[in-house]
Amino acid sequence: MLLMIVSFFNPYAGITGLIATLLAIALSHFTGLNKRSIQNGTYSYNALIIGIGMGSIYNFSSAFWLLLLIIVILSVILSVVLQNKLGRYGLPFLTIPFVICLWTILLVTKDFEAIHFTFRNIYWLNDVYAVGDQKLVNFIMFMEKLDIPPLVSTFFRALSSLYFQNNILAGLLIAIGILIHSRIIFSLIIVGFLSAYCFNNIVMAHPEGMNYYLIGGNFILTSVAVGGFFVVPSFHSYLWAIISVPITFLIVMALGIILGQWHLPVFSMPFCITVLSLLYFFALKAQKGRVVLTPLQFFSPEKNLYNYLNNKERLLNVNTIRLQLPFIGKWMVSQGYEGSITHKGEWSKALDFIIVDQELKTYDQFAAVPENFYCFGKPVLAAADGFVEKIEDYIDDNAIGTINQKQNWGNSIVLKHAEGLYTKMSHLKKGSFKVQIGDFVKQGDIVAACGNSGRSPEPHLHFQVQSTPAIGSKTLSYPLAHYAVSMNGKIAFKEFSVPKETEIVCNTAADPSLKAAFEFLPGFNLSVKADGMEDGKWEVFTDAYNQPYIYCHQSKSVAYFKRNENVFYFISFQGDKKSLLYYFYLACYKVYLSSEPSVIVADKFPLQLTKNTAIKWLQDIVSPFIIFGQLYYESFHKIRSNDFLNPSITVESKQILQFLSIKRTINQFDIEISNSRISSFSFQKNHQQIKAVCVPKTY
Amino acid sequence: MEKLKYERPLIKKMNAGMMNKFGSQSESTPVTHIDGVSVKSIIEKYGSPVFVLSEQKIRQNYKSAVRAFNTRYPKVQFAWSYKTHYNNAVCNIFHQEGSWAEVVSGFEYKKALGNGVPGSNIIFNGPDKHADEIKLAIENDSLIHIDHFEELYLLIDICSQLDKKARVAIRVNMDTGIYPMWDRFGFNYENGQAWQALNKIVESGKLQLVGLHAHIGTYMLSTAAYGVAASKLCDLAMNCKNELKTPVKYIDLGGGFPSANTLKGAIGLVPTPTVDEFAEVITSTILNYGFKVDELPLLILESGRVMIDDAGYLLGTVLANKRLSDGRKATIMDFGVNIMFTSFWYDHKISPAQEVSQFTEETVMYGPLCMNIDIVRETVSLPLLNRGDHVVVHKVGAYNMTQWMQFIAMRPNIVLIDTNDQTHVIRKAETLDYLQELEVMPQHLQRNN
Repeated sequence: MLLMIVSFFNPYAGITGLIATLLAIALSHFTGLNKRSIQNGTYSYNALIIGIGMGSIYNFSSAFWLLLLIIVILSVILSVVLQNKLGRYGLPFLTIPFVICLWTILLVTKDFEAIHFTFRNIYWLNDVYAVGDQKLVNFIMFMEKLDIPPLVSTFFRALSSLYFQNNILAGLLIAIGILIHSRIIFSLIIVGFLSAYCFNNIVMAHPEGMNYYLIGGNFILTSVAVGGFFVVPSFHSYLWAIISVPITFLIVMALGIILGQWHLPVFSMPFCITVLSLLYFFALKAQKGRVVLTPLQFFSPEKNLYNYLNNKERLLNVNTIRLQLPFIGKWMVSQGYEGSITHKGEWSKALDFIIVDQELKTYDQFAAVPENFYCFGKPVLAAADGFVEKIEDYIDDNAIGTINQKQNWGNSIVLKHAEGLYTKMSHLKKGSFKVQIGDFVKQGDIVAACGNSGRSPEPHLHFQVQSTPAIGSKTLSYPLAHYAVSMNGKIAFKEFSVPKETEIVCNTAADPSLKAAFEFLPGFNLSVKADGMEDGKWEVFTDAYNQPYIYCHQSKSVAYFKRNENVFYFISFQGDKKSLLYYFYLACYKVYLSSEPSVIVADKFPLQLTKNTAIKWLQDIVSPFIIFGQLYYESFHKIRSNDFLNPSITVESKQILQFLSIKRTINQFDIEISNSRISSFSFQKNHQQIKAVCVPKTY
Repeated sequence: MEKLKYERPLIKKMNAGMMNKFGSQSESTPVTHIDGVSVKSIIEKYGSPVFVLSEQKIRQNYKSAVRAFNTRYPKVQFAWSYKTHYNNAVCNIFHQEGSWAEVVSGFEYKKALGNGVPGSNIIFNGPDKHADEIKLAIENDSLIHIDHFEELYLLIDICSQLDKKARVAIRVNMDTGIYPMWDRFGFNYENGQAWQALNKIVESGKLQLVGLHAHIGTYMLSTAAYGVAASKLCDLAMNCKNELKTPVKYIDLGGGFPSANTLKGAIGLVPTPTVDEFAEVITSTILNYGFKVDELPLLILESGRVMIDDAGYLLGTVLANKRLSDGRKATIMDFGVNIMFTSFWYDHKISPAQEVSQFTEETVMYGPLCMNIDIVRETVSLPLLNRGDHVVVHKVGAYNMTQWMQFIAMRPNIVLIDTNDQTHVIRKAETLDYLQELEVMPQHLQRNN
């Protein structure tokens, strides 16, 4: 809003900008371009600056409007072409269409009889008078004549030049607007400005002071783009922001000399060149990590950063192949990774499992024969879908206390789950194999039985992940997707973790009714109603990448989610934060679908979901360097009626805000599940408890 | 020095007995403590005779039975067989461990509800369910296992009135290759009655078919029979899914696993299969039957005896010794068949509860009842016992404390030793007042002279 006011300081430029934007949008719709890109302004932002630029340069006339129309068409075409060409390299096209269009105009219009340069800019106060009469003029003059240090006044004037202006008030308003929008951008503007100022003072390129437009249109923009917009803000991105400004400086100077031949200004071309080169350079670097290109553009460095940090933690393993434990029931890890007995060297990333009773004994009565050991003969399962790659099944099971060092691994099976991802189970019982080489097995299928063959003094199951198919391949460290650890009668869930020695572990079983309640298949409709809130009309879709999401027809909001055997979780929300879908997103941010109640799920929200408070602003400013705030999520479920066919379940969750060590619960949610569906959920809004009733739409 | 114990001299026929790997079979090893509590102190505190239960052993038995099944099959549920032992304290040990309840009468059903078992976790079996009990079970969403067609029609009637679907299963009897075949309970598999009953249930539209149940016998010594039973139930389950379009949620294989007692007439040591061996046969049959992993039915087991038999002891005292006309020795105990119903089935192991000499003699062990049938053991090789000596009868946890009666003598205390070796009375010895509480005296008989 502030920025709009600023652009209307020069009303002619403002009007032209607005008209050019509307023209560009109409044209994009007319030619049938991507709707979401149109909404994001991808095809119209160049038109906007072209409009403002032309409005500031030329007098209005019918020829002027015709020219504007043609040039806007050109800018949209260039935008689409460049988006496609540069998009292949993951690069933005920045303001290249604007620069090309305005250069074209400037080169040719000298010879056009019907187009005249304006002198309004010289008498710009007249325009101001027309908008805000004498008082505004006085105020602006007062600002202009204020005795402020040249460094500060240059800064504001440079900012105002972003909108083709040159006054302190406009700069001040822009600064405030930016600060409200993003603390990181604001800090990067200062970084860019100071970098340019210092460089100029050292090399003395412009002893009399720099051209405001160059600072605003190139140095500051470069600093923002490199420091926090196209790159996830971090200490390193700020370093690059500082370095990028002198680079732009040199390109400005060089380009200025070349273009001077045709009396053309450089506009923001140096900015485009530096930013594109740097981004491409970052993308090509072999070692990533220090500088990370923004994976998904939220048009706010804070959101980009918080989302990036959040996703880095939450979605790290989203595409990995999910391995489960290769057995039924509770087993103990008798030897873990880097175990002291045999898990050494190249074979150190392996797990041995046994079954123990409550006294941690591994056998019944006497340890005389393998049959007396609890684990002997128990089913061994496929850890994931895959093909049977290798089977060895001819080695006799040892008597207790003897080992077979000739055939070290004993009877073994190797399953292939993907290229370079194999699992191997060893010391299996002779003759117990249920599958053959080449068979396809599903996760959880029984492949053989636990035995005592090979180097195995007593029955146990050896499990390892490896990248090559041979029996005896070296091991690969690879986590299990989801399992439960029992400790002193309590159960904890682990995700993408490796069981540790002496832990008693089992696969987690999903509760059929929770599983059904969070099924959300495409086409599923839910109508949600709550007092004092807009109704929700939700429908499940999948996007072009087969990612499922819930779309609310009423609020036009979108919530992306994921669901697997064990967990339901939301990935992101875009849209109306007053909608019921938003509260549902908060409430069901992560829910274990397990039949084991009372296990607490802990997760983190991206920090931008917190309200803007002083401490949040402070966090924003230092966020590229240090994160001291967290927005936590916790959930667990209670079984209200213990009916194995139709249990009533309540999922309780809450949002906890923590700054330094002060924790505060900011919202609490209850999700009621009965008859295998979500019947209602409740939350707090403005200190009121609101209950939303969910009714599935059936056809 | 303590005075040595007097033992009468005796002349004994040379008898080598059956050899086993621990030498000649003898039951003379004294058992002076149960779970660390001395027999003497229990009798001093709670009288003689007295039943003693070990909570630790019950929990161990339960856990090991569960382990045998749930390390082989993903969905397993045990239901405690109330008729085996329905003392509430004992039931609650099982419920604490996660067991459901399996009842065969209205009062057992109400007992289970009273113990806090959710209605949906109670299995209601048996051929005699009254209409009001069935109503109660329907209202509580309990699992009603239908025994005969009359019951099936009654259920349909009641459900029509209540406008609520009852959750039902049928009990199936079948030929599993063992004799005698238990065909008196439930619907027969081979003659098609079971399939007919399933059809009627689904067609009626009033009942929700949720499971299939078989209980092929008791004290089964053959594991193969369970494989046959599981396979026949799986066949019905598949047909329910494919033909009736009504997949069942569970398969209940009942109980019948033997404890380590010695059946009467068994010669020497008969090896009884362990729970593990039964589990192996049952689970592998179901797993290999061809269900999809996520469509595997819940496997319910109603084991009673094997869970509790060896956790129960009966402590008693010698009343007298006699020499019978044929020269055999006889010992009269203070406990008889009225509280030890299982002595009709088993040769219970009996141990002296104090130090004894190594000399043993074949003895007839009588109870205290003034009835000829009161024989606890027809012959048992025991060391010489004097009046006032204590004995421990082993493996009496199952059925005795539900099938016992007050006949001539009254029922004694039941004591539970908890996991911290503390003793608790969980059922008090009966008194004359208790016995006469329900008696009603007609007016004309109030005077007896």
